[in-house]
Formats: sequence, structure tokens, C-alpha cells
Amino acid sequence: MSRLRRHPLAILGTVLLVLVGASLLTGPLGVGLPPGVARTPILLEIRLPRTLLALLIGGGLGIAGAALQGYLRNALAEPGLLGATGGAGLGAVIAIHTGASAAVPLALPIGGLAGALVATLAVLGLAAAGRSTAAAAGQHALLISGVAVSTLATALISLALNLSPNPFAAVEMVHWLMGSIADRSLDHVMLAGPAILAGAAVLARLGPDLDALSLGEDAARNLGTDIDRVRWLIIIGTALVVGAATAVAGTIGFVGLIVPHLLRPWVGARPGPLLLASMLGGAVLLLAADIAIRLASPVGELRLGVLTALLGAPFFLWLIVAGPSDQRRGPLP
Amino acid sequence: MPPPAERAPASRWAAWLSRLAVPIALAGSLAGATGADAKPARIVSLNLCTDQILVDLVPRERIGAVTHLAADPSVSAAAEAAKGLRITYGSAEDVVALAPDLVLAGTWTTPATASLLERLGVPLLRVPLAGTIPEVRAVIRAVARAVGEEARGEAQIARLDASLAAASRKRREGPRPTALIYQVSGLASGPGSLADALLEVAGLRNLAAELSIGRGGQVPLEILIARPPDILVLSAAPDEYRTAAADNLRHPALRHASRSGASVVIPWRLWLCGTEAASRAIDALMAARDALEDARHR
Repeated sequence: MSRLRRHPLAILGTVLLVLVGASLLTGPLGVGLPPGVARTPILLEIRLPRTLLALLIGGGLGIAGAALQGYLRNALAEPGLLGATGGAGLGAVIAIHTGASAAVPLALPIGGLAGALVATLAVLGLAAAGRSTAAAAGQHALLISGVAVSTLATALISLALNLSPNPFAAVEMVHWLMGSIADRSLDHVMLAGPAILAGAAVLARLGPDLDALSLGEDAARNLGTDIDRVRWLIIIGTALVVGAATAVAGTIGFVGLIVPHLLRPWVGARPGPLLLASMLGGAVLLLAADIAIRLASPVGELRLGVLTALLGAPFFLWLIVAGPSDQRRGPLP
Repeated sequence: MPPPAERAPASRWAAWLSRLAVPIALAGSLAGATGADAKPARIVSLNLCTDQILVDLVPRERIGAVTHLAADPSVSAAAEAAKGLRITYGSAEDVVALAPDLVLAGTWTTPATASLLERLGVPLLRVPLAGTIPEVRAVIRAVARAVGEEARGEAQIARLDASLAAASRKRREGPRPTALIYQVSGLASGPGSLADALLEVAGLRNLAAELSIGRGGQVPLEILIARPPDILVLSAAPDEYRTAAADNLRHPALRHASRSGASVVIPWRLWLCGTEAASRAIDALMAARDALEDARHR
């Protein structure tokens, strides 16, 4: 057991490989492939994109959650709760319904990125303003701002869908509220993959700075951390990941909240090592969840976003009530 | 297929106007009741399906309003004829303000509005959604009788029946090819729908009945590719709806989703409602079937 504890990345990576195999073997047709069916298109054009998207989106959301929790020193920080997901959805909806994404496919992830960026900046700005008043202090200012911006983004998505000449507004609203990676194609992987990988790479390099920041801002400055630069890299990295992920899959919430908490007892509370572990852990969690819904609901009635919310919301409540085990929260930056 | 999104009425105006208009509407309905032979002169339709039947039955000046969908070419087979007609979003206030002497409503689209209108004394005909060919005839007849244009109604039915007769003449012996109607967001038209009845008329077997599909009618793409129909029917051209919900119609793997590798587009406006437009869907299905069988015999 002690040896296992020392190699979390290797173990998570191994689990991930096993899950990738399981994911390629699992689908609405059952486990494996019945004889006489067109294997190549099913494996390469349906199961492979789904598997890759689960890896990319789960990994991206995992590392974004770990980075946000580390930087904000707030156990409840997560892209969805900070408004980035809602903003990304709004940006993607605007890109689709203005016709931009039909003209230039890249407009879709760019729209998501822009939306996530604006929403994150708004939430951080509102929280900073809120903290200066006595009413909403500490961690709650951030969450309250996140709720406000998310709600606004959802309302604007609904408005945009209602204003567009689109008879499927109701169906599409479900997609943006509760995401899914079923029946996506390699086109979606190509659209979202590069941005998610770029965002994850930006975040993955911030480990030493986040470790320094966990000692407090003054200590971090003395250790040579440029806090403004770190803040911007966190915001940009998160927006890249969440914007692209949400643009192709809709809202998949709570992965970024759950994964760092599950891994802290194993990997340790230092934010740096937690980054890569959370990336692998997020991929493991989302891929496992997506395999589970394929087994539980082969015809695709259950959506991935529904399952992550069912897992995540009680976890969130538990965090609020019980508090995380490694409570070492100072005042917010 | 879920019902097209209804838009919320946003007009405070209409609310205000309607208070003035209630007495007028009641007077109008009374007037309609006294003259037994008088045809309704101010008809309001609250349902996309009755819109399309109505615009062919009566002259434009007798139409008080149709739904906002009637002139939308993506869902209405009679969009051209409905262009320029006054639009209602279906709130009771809005309708009463129009002082109709006949309101056509669907049985399930606007139930609250319909019962409110009945209580206000507005003459109202509830029209069910046709799921079979005989029901299409019955619906057209009911609307035609209510608006006093039986002859024009029979002409609509005759056009539909001509397509049916041609289809049954051309039906071939031997096993029926299979087809699947694949819609936006991965839904397939199942048994009991009008689309299913049209496949039957065209001599095709609806594969949806044999696939394991969800309660909502979803067909995962993987299942479609594992058991492809002979003819894949798309409910919209892949690029018609640039929405995330229609991404499934653009999936590259769809080329494996029919045995012939080809798909035909039969726009859902032709079979969403039971109207004479169904004849065009039948003609298109017959053409697809003929092409398939010719390719086989060659």
C-alpha cells in the first residue's frame, strides 16, 4: 500500500489506460462488438471520439479545478461554480446562432473561450468588489458572484435560443444545461482538443507558483512569484479548457470540484503536485462516468451532465456542511 | 419530435387591448351563432397544423391570424401561402383581441388557451394531430366543415389520395426495403407516427420498430450503423439547422448508416402535420424506393 501511495500518477495513468480500453469496447450495442457489424466506423468514428472527448474534457476540467482551488485558496472553487461554464455556453450559443460557426468552424471554441473569459473576469471582479463590503465576505463572495454570473449566462442562452429562428430551442437548451459526449465526431475532437490541451499546458506549468502561493501572497512574492502573471495564466488556461470543452459537449459540471478533493488525501494538499494528478483523475472520473451511463442507459436517455451533477451536487453540499479535511484557508487573494 | 418551441407572448399591449376587445369578441360569436349558413369570416388558427390546412381552404381576408410558425419555411409546408398573414403567439388575450368567429386549436399545443377561450364564448374547434392517413382525411374534413369550405377540403383529400393511389400502383412484389427516418437530436420516427404511416404507404418497412430505441425515440448512431436501413431518411438537410441539436445530421459516420451509403432528405415539414403535403413526402419516398430497386436490378 505504501508503495502505491508513492506513485499516484503511474496508478492513475494505468487506470486510465484500462478505462480507455473499456470505453472502446462499450457502447449501445453492449460490451464488445456483435459479429457482422461495421466495426471500423463504430470504433473509429463513434467510440473513439467519445473516448477522446471524455479524456480531454475530464482532464481539462480536473486540472482547471485544481488550479482554481490552489490559486484562490478556496475549497469550493470550480469552473462551473465560478461562472466560466455558463459563460462558455453563452459564447458557443452566440457563435452558433449568429452563423459564425457555420462560416468558420473554429468560431465555436473561440466563442466558448471568449464567453468563459468574460464570465471568469466578471466573477473575480464582482468577488473583489463584494469583499470590500462587509455583507459578503470571504469565500462566499466568490460563490455568490459565480451564481449570479451563471444564472445570467443561462438566462441569456435561453434568450438567444428563443430569439433565433430555430424550432429546436427546447432541445438545445437541455444540451447547454446538461451536456453529453454521445454521438460526437472527430470533428468535435479536432475543434476542442487543441484548445483544451493548450489550456491544460498553461495550467500544468503553474505548480511551483501555486505551491509558493499556498504560503501566502507575501511569501510567494518573496519567493519570486509574479502574482499578476499567475492570475492571468490561471484565467486564460481555465478559459481555454472550459470554453472549448463546453462548446462541444455542453455543461458538464462538478468534475473540477470533486477530483482535487478526492485526490488530496492521496497526493497531498500541495497545489503543485495536485495539478497533474487532478488532470489524470478528471479524465478517469469522466471516462468512468461516461462508461457507466452507456451501461446503465444504452439508448442514450441519460446524459453525462446529469450524472456528474448527481454526483457533484451532494459532494458540494457535503463540502459546505462538513468542510474539506485540509482546511487551511486564509483570506482570499 | 418535440413540438416546435413556443414563444412567450411579450406584448403588454395585447393584454391592454384585450380588455377592450372582450365585449366585441362575445358579440362576434353571438352573431356567428345566429346566421346558420354564414361562413366564419375571421378565423384564427393556434396550431401550425391547422394553419397549413386553413391557408389553402379560405381566402386570405377570412383569416384573422395564424401562428408565427406558419410562414417559417423550415417547419411549414405552406409557408409561401402564409406569408404576410397576421401572426398570433396564441395567448388568450391576443386571440380575443382579434375578435375571431372561429378559432382552430390543436388538442395538445395550447390547452390552457383553448379552454380559456371556450369559457369566454369564442367558437373553438379542437383538432387532433393526425397519426394515420385516415386521420389526415378526418382532420381536413373537420376543418373544412368548420370553415364552410367542404368542397375545397375534398380537393385537398383528393390530391393526397392521388399520391396514395400512385404509390399503391407502383408497389412492387417481394420483401419491402427498410427505411429509418432520422431526425434532429438523434430521434427516429416510430410506430404510430404519421411518418411511419407514410413509410408503409410507400412500401417501406420502418426499421425503428425493430431497433432498440429509447422511450423518447432516440437511436444511438452506433446502433444505426450496426443495423443500417436500406434507405436512410434525414428529416432535414444536414446544413439546414446550424444548431448543436442538429449536429447528429452532420456526423461523418452517417455515410455508413444506410446499406446503399446514400441518404435522402425528406423535410419534416412535409410529415410533421397531417396535411396534403404528406403526398409530397410519399412521392419522395417512392422515388427513393424506385432508385434503390433499380440499382438492385441493374
